[in-house]
Amino acid sequence: MVRRILAWAAALLIGLAIGAASAWAALEFGRSSFAERYGGWTHSRAAGSEAAGPYTRAIIAREGLLALSAREALYFTMSADENGRPLDEGCIYELASPPLATRWWSVTLYAADNFLAQNTDHAPSVDASRTLTDAGGGWRARISPVRGQAANWISSRSARRGFTLTLRAYNPRDDFRPSAEALPTLATISCAETP
Amino acid sequence: MSGAAKYVWAALIVAVMSHLAVIHAVPRVFTGVAISRLSESGFNAWRFAPRVTPESRAIVRPSPDFAYSACAYDLSDGPVTIRVKPWDGYWSLSLYASNSDNFYVVDDREARQGAVITLTRRIPRDAEDSGATYVRSPSTRGIALIRRLAPTPDAYAAAAQVARDDFCARLSG
Repeated sequence: MVRRILAWAAALLIGLAIGAASAWAALEFGRSSFAERYGGWTHSRAAGSEAAGPYTRAIIAREGLLALSAREALYFTMSADENGRPLDEGCIYELASPPLATRWWSVTLYAADNFLAQNTDHAPSVDASRTLTDAGGGWRARISPVRGQAANWISSRSARRGFTLTLRAYNPRDDFRPSAEALPTLATISCAETP
Repeated sequence: MSGAAKYVWAALIVAVMSHLAVIHAVPRVFTGVAISRLSESGFNAWRFAPRVTPESRAIVRPSPDFAYSACAYDLSDGPVTIRVKPWDGYWSLSLYASNSDNFYVVDDREARQGAVITLTRRIPRDAEDSGATYVRSPSTRGIALIRRLAPTPDAYAAAAQVARDDFCARLSG
């Protein structure tokens, strides 16, 4: 009798474990299937898209709860430099961008914990309304712990290793076509010697 | 053999059911957490969020360039009226159902003079004659979110001033 109860309990627990694990695996697999890469940027079609079914809805909720629809804004994330290394406070980077075919855009730095870096530089982002552009509308921004002579600056002070950049493109125009060439490009200027 | 088979079948059936339950629950649980956080001091009222700083820990990956207002709405006692005052620059109003679906969005390109909508579970028959803009919410509870572009401290202070005239409440009567 006891053995039978234990067997049923084991079947129940194993079933629950398989169900939960396979659900999580489905969401992970689904997330990667929604990812598109443009140069160093990753864009998830899931965030802000219309839920077509329970799986899509669950993926969207994990990827971008309360995100805007793709008609309003597109989000792109960069987590590695041009050589595939994690972004690091010990390095100085430069973003160079052609004019972006959007009504407004911003690039924000997030530390590895997905919050703004713990510094008091008041420079967590650059955006279309405050960025100095060249005559053609292109722009450059320095990403470094110290501003130096940079005209446009995102502070990476206290961002440590593994920070990410998020590009937000608001009200993309009809001719906005994401591609490696149409989005900002990251270049590593220098890195401090690691001890 | 047949004794073991019934346990395997039971495990498989439980696995399928719990798999579907998790998939179904994920968006509702995530949205439910957001609704309960936003409704700590009650439903049907705007909450103007403090300016995003390195100390902000409420939502992951917030944009420091926006002034956010959120209203957790509850339609169980009737329709809720939402009014958004216009803002000099990009703004949008997004509505999210309890299953996380973004079922409505309007921005300053379509609503230069701001937005006034009546959020309801059921559109009344005389909706067209009334002149009001009715929006049907798929769920009784959900979240309304206003984003106003305010990248500087001055712009943020101005947005805070404008946000005082936003409205999210049940009209009595």
